[in-house]
Amino acid sequence: MQALIEAQGLNLHYGRKQALDDLSFAVQPGRVVGLLGHNGAGKTTLMKALVGLHAAQGRLSVLGRDPFHDRVALLEDLAYIPDVAILPRWATVSQLITLMSGLHPKFSADRARALIRRTSVGLGDPVKNLSKGMVVQVHLALVAAIDARLMVLDEPTLGLDVLSRKAFYEMLIDEWCDGQRSVLISTHQVEEIETLLSDVLMLNEGRLVLSLSLEDIDRRFVALGHDPAAADAMAAAHPLLRYRVQGGSAALFDGAPPPEVAALGQRLRPSLVDLFVALTRRPEINRTQEG
Amino acid sequence: MQPWHQQLPIYQQLADQLAARLLDGELTEGEPMPSVRNLASRYLLNPLTVSRALQALDEDGLLEHRRGLGLYVRPGARDRLRQAARQRFLADEWPALRARLQRLGISEHDLDWTL
Repeated sequence: MQALIEAQGLNLHYGRKQALDDLSFAVQPGRVVGLLGHNGAGKTTLMKALVGLHAAQGRLSVLGRDPFHDRVALLEDLAYIPDVAILPRWATVSQLITLMSGLHPKFSADRARALIRRTSVGLGDPVKNLSKGMVVQVHLALVAAIDARLMVLDEPTLGLDVLSRKAFYEMLIDEWCDGQRSVLISTHQVEEIETLLSDVLMLNEGRLVLSLSLEDIDRRFVALGHDPAAADAMAAAHPLLRYRVQGGSAALFDGAPPPEVAALGQRLRPSLVDLFVALTRRPEINRTQEG
Repeated sequence: MQPWHQQLPIYQQLADQLAARLLDGELTEGEPMPSVRNLASRYLLNPLTVSRALQALDEDGLLEHRRGLGLYVRPGARDRLRQAARQRFLADEWPALRARLQRLGISEHDLDWTL
Protein backbone atom coordinates (compact mmCIF):
# COMPACT_ATOMS: atom_id res chain seq x y z
CA MET A 1 0.00 0.00 0.00
CA GLN A 2 1.33 3.39 -0.99
CA ALA A 3 1.07 6.20 1.53
CA LEU A 4 -1.40 8.97 0.65
CA ILE A 5 0.82 11.62 2.23
CA GLU A 6 4.58 11.46 2.62
CA ALA A 7 6.54 14.31 4.16
CA GLN A 8 10.32 14.33 4.67
CA GLY A 9 12.11 17.22 6.37
CA LEU A 10 9.33 19.71 5.70
CA ASN A 11 10.18 23.34 6.57
CA LEU A 12 8.22 26.53 6.12
CA HIS A 13 9.09 30.09 7.15
CA TYR A 14 6.96 33.20 7.48
CA GLY A 15 9.71 35.79 7.28
CA ARG A 16 12.00 34.89 10.18
CA LYS A 17 9.41 32.83 11.99
CA GLN A 18 9.72 29.12 11.43
CA ALA A 19 6.11 27.90 11.04
CA LEU A 20 6.96 24.27 10.23
CA ASP A 21 10.17 22.83 11.59
CA ASP A 22 11.57 19.69 9.95
CA LEU A 23 8.39 17.58 9.83
CA SER A 24 8.52 13.97 8.66
CA PHE A 25 5.47 11.72 8.64
CA ALA A 26 3.27 9.54 6.44
CA VAL A 27 -0.47 8.96 6.19
CA GLN A 28 -1.56 5.51 4.97
CA PRO A 29 -4.87 4.65 3.27
CA GLY A 30 -7.89 3.93 5.46
CA ARG A 31 -6.82 6.09 8.40
CA VAL A 32 -8.45 8.81 10.47
CA VAL A 33 -5.63 11.13 11.45
CA GLY A 34 -5.97 13.84 14.06
CA LEU A 35 -3.72 16.87 13.65
CA LEU A 36 -3.54 18.28 17.16
CA GLY A 37 -1.96 21.44 18.43
CA HIS A 38 -2.67 24.68 20.28
CA ASN A 39 -3.64 27.78 18.35
CA GLY A 40 -0.61 28.91 16.36
CA ALA A 41 1.12 25.53 16.49
CA GLY A 42 1.18 25.27 12.69
CA LYS A 43 -1.90 23.13 11.95
CA THR A 44 -3.43 25.39 9.32
CA THR A 45 -0.02 26.11 7.77
CA LEU A 46 0.64 22.38 7.41
CA MET A 47 -2.78 21.76 5.88
CA LYS A 48 -2.28 24.59 3.41
CA ALA A 49 1.08 23.09 2.42
CA LEU A 50 -0.62 19.71 1.92
CA VAL A 51 -3.18 21.15 -0.50
CA GLY A 52 -0.62 23.30 -2.33
CA LEU A 53 -1.55 26.72 -0.96
CA HIS A 54 1.89 27.20 0.61
CA ALA A 55 5.26 26.25 -0.83
CA ALA A 56 7.33 24.31 1.69
CA GLN A 57 10.96 23.20 1.59
CA GLY A 58 11.73 19.53 1.88
CA ARG A 59 10.05 16.55 0.27
CA LEU A 60 6.26 16.43 0.17
CA SER A 61 4.11 14.04 -1.80
CA VAL A 62 0.30 14.04 -1.54
CA LEU A 63 -1.48 11.31 -3.55
CA GLY A 64 1.77 10.87 -5.43
CA ARG A 65 1.97 14.55 -6.43
CA ASP A 66 3.89 17.64 -5.45
CA PRO A 67 1.06 19.76 -4.06
CA PHE A 68 2.49 23.19 -4.82
CA HIS A 69 3.47 22.51 -8.43
CA ASP A 70 0.68 20.12 -9.29
CA ARG A 71 -2.12 21.74 -7.38
CA VAL A 72 -4.91 21.67 -9.99
CA ALA A 73 -4.50 17.94 -10.65
CA LEU A 74 -4.19 17.22 -6.94
CA LEU A 75 -7.41 19.00 -6.05
CA GLU A 76 -9.33 16.61 -8.33
CA ASP A 77 -8.49 13.76 -5.96
CA LEU A 78 -8.78 15.64 -2.73
CA ALA A 79 -11.66 16.96 -0.61
CA TYR A 80 -10.74 19.99 1.47
CA ILE A 81 -12.62 22.21 3.89
CA PRO A 82 -10.42 25.13 5.00
CA ASP A 83 -10.85 26.73 8.41
CA VAL A 84 -12.29 29.87 6.84
CA ALA A 85 -14.73 27.98 4.62
CA ILE A 86 -17.95 29.74 3.78
CA LEU A 87 -20.82 28.88 1.46
CA PRO A 88 -22.48 31.69 -0.51
CA ARG A 89 -25.45 32.88 1.56
CA TRP A 90 -27.67 33.69 -1.42
CA ALA A 91 -27.49 30.18 -2.94
CA THR A 92 -29.84 27.27 -2.27
CA VAL A 93 -28.40 23.83 -1.50
CA SER A 94 -29.60 22.65 -4.88
CA GLN A 95 -27.79 25.51 -6.64
CA LEU A 96 -24.60 24.65 -4.76
CA ILE A 97 -24.83 21.08 -6.04
CA THR A 98 -25.23 22.38 -9.62
CA LEU A 99 -22.27 24.71 -9.08
CA MET A 100 -20.07 21.89 -7.75
CA SER A 101 -21.04 19.66 -10.70
CA GLY A 102 -19.67 22.32 -13.04
CA LEU A 103 -16.53 22.95 -10.99
CA HIS A 104 -15.34 19.52 -9.98
CA PRO A 105 -14.91 16.64 -12.46
CA LYS A 106 -15.18 13.95 -9.76
CA PHE A 107 -18.21 15.39 -7.98
CA SER A 108 -21.38 13.29 -7.97
CA ALA A 109 -24.59 15.32 -7.72
CA ASP A 110 -26.61 12.17 -6.96
CA ARG A 111 -24.36 11.30 -4.08
CA ALA A 112 -24.48 14.86 -2.74
CA ARG A 113 -28.30 14.78 -2.81
CA ALA A 114 -28.29 11.41 -1.01
CA LEU A 115 -25.98 12.83 1.66
CA ILE A 116 -28.15 15.93 2.10
CA ARG A 117 -31.17 13.68 2.62
CA ARG A 118 -29.44 12.29 5.74
CA THR A 119 -29.68 15.73 7.30
CA SER A 120 -32.61 17.93 8.21
CA VAL A 121 -31.63 20.34 5.43
CA GLY A 122 -33.89 20.61 2.36
CA LEU A 123 -32.49 20.89 -1.17
CA GLY A 124 -34.45 24.08 -1.74
CA ASP A 125 -33.23 25.77 1.47
CA PRO A 126 -31.15 28.90 0.97
CA VAL A 127 -27.85 28.87 2.88
CA LYS A 128 -28.79 32.08 4.68
CA ASN A 129 -31.68 30.28 6.43
CA LEU A 130 -29.50 27.46 7.78
CA SER A 131 -27.99 27.23 11.27
CA LYS A 132 -24.22 27.09 11.61
CA GLY A 133 -24.36 23.35 12.27
CA MET A 134 -26.46 22.77 9.15
CA VAL A 135 -24.08 24.81 6.97
CA VAL A 136 -21.17 22.64 8.08
CA GLN A 137 -23.20 19.49 7.36
CA VAL A 138 -23.99 20.77 3.86
CA HIS A 139 -20.32 21.56 3.35
CA LEU A 140 -19.32 18.04 4.42
CA ALA A 141 -21.97 16.54 2.12
CA LEU A 142 -20.58 18.56 -0.80
CA VAL A 143 -16.95 17.51 -0.31
CA ALA A 144 -17.84 13.90 0.61
CA ALA A 145 -19.60 13.65 -2.77
CA ILE A 146 -16.22 14.04 -4.46
CA ASP A 147 -14.76 10.69 -5.47
CA ALA A 148 -11.48 11.32 -3.69
CA ARG A 149 -9.04 9.34 -1.57
CA LEU A 150 -8.12 12.01 0.93
CA MET A 151 -10.14 14.54 2.88
CA VAL A 152 -8.54 17.44 4.71
CA LEU A 153 -10.65 19.18 7.35
CA ASP A 154 -9.33 22.25 9.16
CA GLU A 155 -11.18 22.74 12.47
CA PRO A 156 -14.46 21.56 10.92
CA THR A 157 -16.62 21.69 14.04
CA LEU A 158 -15.37 24.93 15.59
CA GLY A 159 -18.26 26.87 17.13
CA LEU A 160 -20.83 24.09 16.69
CA ASP A 161 -22.99 22.77 19.53
CA VAL A 162 -22.59 19.19 20.72
CA LEU A 163 -25.46 17.73 18.67
CA SER A 164 -24.19 19.33 15.46
CA ARG A 165 -20.69 18.04 16.16
CA LYS A 166 -22.05 14.55 16.73
CA ALA A 167 -24.08 14.67 13.50
CA PHE A 168 -21.01 15.87 11.62
CA TYR A 169 -18.80 13.03 12.82
CA GLU A 170 -21.55 10.46 12.29
CA MET A 171 -21.78 11.48 8.65
CA LEU A 172 -18.01 11.47 8.31
CA ILE A 173 -17.66 7.90 9.61
CA ASP A 174 -20.70 6.59 7.82
CA GLU A 175 -20.15 8.18 4.44
CA TRP A 176 -16.42 8.64 4.12
CA CYS A 177 -14.45 6.11 6.14
CA ASP A 178 -14.57 2.97 4.00
CA GLY A 179 -11.20 1.49 4.94
CA GLN A 180 -9.48 2.94 1.84
CA ARG A 181 -10.05 6.67 2.02
CA SER A 182 -8.29 8.67 4.69
CA VAL A 183 -9.15 11.88 6.46
CA LEU A 184 -6.91 14.37 8.20
CA ILE A 185 -8.74 16.47 10.81
CA SER A 186 -7.20 19.35 12.69
CA THR A 187 -8.57 20.42 16.03
CA HIS A 188 -7.57 21.63 19.44
CA GLN A 189 -10.62 19.98 20.99
CA VAL A 190 -8.69 16.77 21.51
CA GLU A 191 -11.12 14.88 23.75
CA GLU A 192 -13.86 15.33 21.14
CA ILE A 193 -12.32 13.17 18.48
CA GLU A 194 -9.96 10.92 20.42
CA THR A 195 -12.04 7.79 19.89
CA LEU A 196 -12.50 8.48 16.17
CA LEU A 197 -8.82 8.55 15.40
CA SER A 198 -6.53 5.80 14.21
CA ASP A 199 -3.44 8.05 14.24
CA VAL A 200 -2.23 11.26 15.81
CA LEU A 201 0.05 14.03 14.60
CA MET A 202 0.84 16.41 17.44
CA LEU A 203 2.31 19.81 16.62
CA ASN A 204 3.92 22.18 19.08
CA GLU A 205 5.41 25.47 17.88
CA GLY A 206 5.86 24.09 14.38
CA ARG A 207 7.54 20.88 15.50
CA LEU A 208 6.07 17.40 15.38
CA VAL A 209 6.19 16.10 18.95
CA LEU A 210 4.28 12.89 18.23
CA SER A 211 3.35 10.92 15.12
CA LEU A 212 1.92 7.59 16.16
CA SER A 213 -1.05 5.26 15.79
CA LEU A 214 -3.44 5.06 18.75
CA GLU A 215 -2.55 1.40 19.08
CA ASP A 216 1.12 2.25 19.46
CA ILE A 217 0.29 5.05 21.90
CA ASP A 218 -1.45 2.47 24.10
CA ARG A 219 1.62 0.27 23.90
CA ARG A 220 4.25 2.95 24.45
CA PHE A 221 2.74 5.21 27.10
CA VAL A 222 1.78 3.89 30.50
CA ALA A 223 -0.64 5.70 32.79
CA LEU A 224 -0.81 4.57 36.41
CA GLY A 225 -3.63 5.49 38.75
CA HIS A 226 -2.46 5.53 42.34
CA ASP A 227 -3.25 6.43 45.98
CA PRO A 228 -1.94 9.66 47.53
CA ALA A 229 0.47 7.49 49.56
CA ALA A 230 2.29 6.45 46.38
CA ALA A 231 2.66 10.02 45.08
CA ASP A 232 6.30 10.47 46.14
CA ALA A 233 7.41 7.17 44.61
CA MET A 234 5.62 8.09 41.37
CA ALA A 235 7.24 11.52 41.24
CA ALA A 236 10.68 10.00 41.87
CA ALA A 237 10.28 7.82 38.77
CA HIS A 238 10.11 10.97 36.55
CA PRO A 239 6.76 10.68 34.86
CA LEU A 240 5.95 12.90 31.85
CA LEU A 241 2.93 14.25 33.66
CA ARG A 242 1.03 13.89 36.91
CA TYR A 243 -2.69 14.61 36.90
CA ARG A 244 -5.94 14.04 38.77
CA VAL A 245 -8.32 11.27 37.80
CA GLN A 246 -11.63 10.26 39.29
CA GLY A 247 -10.90 8.93 42.76
CA GLY A 248 -7.21 9.85 42.98
CA SER A 249 -4.09 10.73 41.05
CA ALA A 250 -2.35 9.36 38.00
CA ALA A 251 1.12 9.51 36.49
CA LEU A 252 1.92 9.20 32.82
CA PHE A 253 5.14 7.52 31.70
CA ASP A 254 6.83 7.33 28.32
CA GLY A 255 7.70 3.64 28.30
CA ALA A 256 7.34 1.19 31.16
CA PRO A 257 8.10 2.61 34.62
CA PRO A 258 10.34 0.56 36.94
CA PRO A 259 8.46 -2.58 38.14
CA GLU A 260 8.49 -1.50 41.80
CA VAL A 261 6.74 1.74 40.78
CA ALA A 262 4.32 -0.04 38.44
CA ALA A 263 3.30 -2.28 41.33
CA LEU A 264 2.10 0.79 43.28
CA GLY A 265 -0.49 1.78 40.70
CA GLN A 266 -3.27 0.50 38.53
CA ARG A 267 -2.72 0.70 34.80
CA LEU A 268 -5.05 3.14 33.02
CA ARG A 269 -5.71 3.86 29.38
CA PRO A 270 -3.57 6.94 28.62
CA SER A 271 -5.90 9.65 27.37
CA LEU A 272 -4.90 11.74 24.41
CA VAL A 273 -5.68 14.93 26.29
CA ASP A 274 -3.20 14.08 29.05
CA LEU A 275 -0.61 13.12 26.49
CA PHE A 276 -1.26 16.34 24.60
CA VAL A 277 -0.77 18.40 27.76
CA ALA A 278 2.38 16.48 28.64
CA LEU A 279 3.97 16.86 25.22
CA THR A 280 2.99 20.44 24.40
CA ARG A 281 3.41 22.30 27.65
CA ARG A 282 6.89 21.21 28.54
CA PRO A 283 9.14 21.43 25.49
CA GLU A 284 12.30 20.69 27.51
CA ILE A 285 11.01 17.16 28.09
CA ASN A 286 10.33 16.63 24.39
CA ARG A 287 13.92 17.45 23.55
CA THR A 288 15.47 15.06 26.07
CA GLN A 289 13.12 12.32 24.81
CA GLU A 290 14.32 12.68 21.28
CA GLY A 291 17.98 12.91 22.21
CA MET B 1 -20.05 12.41 23.78
CA GLN B 2 -19.89 8.68 24.69
CA PRO B 3 -18.35 8.36 28.14
CA TRP B 4 -15.57 5.76 28.06
CA HIS B 5 -13.69 5.14 31.26
CA GLN B 6 -9.93 4.81 31.58
CA GLN B 7 -9.80 1.42 33.31
CA LEU B 8 -10.06 -0.67 30.13
CA PRO B 9 -9.23 -0.29 26.45
CA ILE B 10 -12.17 1.15 24.49
CA TYR B 11 -12.55 -1.92 22.28
CA GLN B 12 -12.98 -4.01 25.44
CA GLN B 13 -15.62 -1.61 26.77
CA LEU B 14 -17.50 -1.77 23.47
CA ALA B 15 -17.30 -5.59 23.48
CA ASP B 16 -18.75 -5.56 27.02
CA GLN B 17 -21.58 -3.24 25.96
CA LEU B 18 -22.43 -5.40 22.96
CA ALA B 19 -22.36 -8.50 25.18
CA ALA B 20 -24.78 -6.75 27.56
CA ARG B 21 -27.10 -5.93 24.64
CA LEU B 22 -26.93 -9.57 23.64
CA LEU B 23 -27.83 -10.71 27.15
CA ASP B 24 -30.75 -8.25 27.19
CA GLY B 25 -32.00 -9.80 23.97
CA GLU B 26 -31.52 -6.57 22.06
CA LEU B 27 -29.25 -8.43 19.67
CA THR B 28 -30.91 -11.71 18.74
CA GLU B 29 -29.33 -15.10 18.13
CA GLY B 30 -29.24 -16.10 14.48
CA GLU B 31 -29.63 -12.46 13.41
CA PRO B 32 -26.91 -10.40 11.73
CA MET B 33 -24.69 -8.21 13.91
CA PRO B 34 -24.80 -4.49 13.12
CA SER B 35 -22.08 -3.60 10.61
CA VAL B 36 -18.73 -2.11 11.62
CA ARG B 37 -19.69 1.21 10.05
CA ASN B 38 -23.07 1.24 11.72
CA LEU B 39 -21.50 0.65 15.14
CA ALA B 40 -18.67 3.09 14.45
CA SER B 41 -21.00 5.96 13.65
CA ARG B 42 -23.43 5.08 16.43
CA TYR B 43 -20.72 5.01 19.11
CA LEU B 44 -18.49 7.56 17.34
CA LEU B 45 -15.53 5.19 17.28
CA ASN B 46 -12.83 4.49 14.77
CA PRO B 47 -13.86 1.48 12.63
CA LEU B 48 -10.63 -0.32 13.63
CA THR B 49 -11.69 -0.13 17.29
CA VAL B 50 -15.08 -1.61 16.38
CA SER B 51 -13.43 -4.42 14.42
CA ARG B 52 -11.30 -5.28 17.42
CA ALA B 53 -14.38 -5.41 19.65
CA LEU B 54 -16.17 -7.74 17.22
CA GLN B 55 -13.04 -9.87 17.02
CA ALA B 56 -13.03 -10.17 20.83
CA LEU B 57 -16.68 -11.30 20.81
CA ASP B 58 -15.87 -13.74 18.03
CA GLU B 59 -12.98 -15.18 20.04
CA ASP B 60 -15.41 -15.72 22.94
CA GLY B 61 -17.47 -17.89 20.58
CA LEU B 62 -20.43 -15.49 20.45
CA LEU B 63 -20.43 -14.77 16.71
CA GLU B 64 -20.26 -16.74 13.50
CA HIS B 65 -19.17 -15.80 9.99
CA ARG B 66 -21.62 -16.57 7.21
CA ARG B 67 -19.96 -16.61 3.85
CA GLY B 68 -20.82 -13.53 1.83
CA LEU B 69 -23.19 -12.28 4.53
CA GLY B 70 -20.92 -11.22 7.37
CA LEU B 71 -21.13 -11.69 11.12
CA TYR B 72 -24.14 -13.22 12.86
CA VAL B 73 -24.97 -13.78 16.50
CA ARG B 74 -24.24 -17.46 17.06
CA PRO B 75 -27.13 -19.59 18.33
CA GLY B 76 -26.49 -20.36 21.99
CA ALA B 77 -24.53 -17.13 22.48
CA ARG B 78 -26.84 -15.85 25.23
CA ASP B 79 -26.54 -19.07 27.16
CA ARG B 80 -22.79 -18.95 26.82
CA LEU B 81 -22.70 -15.38 28.09
CA ARG B 82 -24.99 -16.16 30.99
CA GLN B 83 -22.86 -19.17 31.95
CA ALA B 84 -19.73 -17.03 31.92
CA ALA B 85 -21.44 -14.31 33.99
CA ARG B 86 -22.70 -16.92 36.47
CA GLN B 87 -19.24 -18.37 36.85
CA ARG B 88 -17.74 -14.92 37.38
CA PHE B 89 -20.34 -14.17 40.03
CA LEU B 90 -19.90 -17.44 41.88
CA ALA B 91 -16.09 -17.38 41.74
CA ASP B 92 -15.35 -13.68 42.33
CA GLU B 93 -18.33 -11.62 43.45
CA TRP B 94 -20.07 -14.06 45.76
CA PRO B 95 -17.14 -14.71 48.15
CA ALA B 96 -16.71 -10.94 48.60
CA LEU B 97 -20.44 -10.43 49.08
CA ARG B 98 -20.66 -13.33 51.55
CA ALA B 99 -17.81 -11.90 53.59
CA ARG B 100 -19.53 -8.51 53.66
CA LEU B 101 -22.87 -10.04 54.76
CA GLN B 102 -21.06 -11.90 57.52
CA ARG B 103 -19.30 -8.75 58.70
CA LEU B 104 -22.60 -6.90 58.84
CA GLY B 105 -24.36 -9.81 60.54
CA ILE B 106 -26.98 -10.12 57.81
CA SER B 107 -28.60 -13.55 57.47
CA GLU B 108 -30.74 -14.83 54.63
CA HIS B 109 -33.89 -14.00 56.66
CA ASP B 110 -32.96 -10.30 56.69
CA LEU B 111 -32.95 -10.15 52.91
CA ASP B 112 -35.96 -9.39 50.75
CA TRP B 113 -36.19 -12.20 48.18
CA THR B 114 -39.38 -11.05 46.45
CA LEU B 115 -38.90 -10.08 42.80
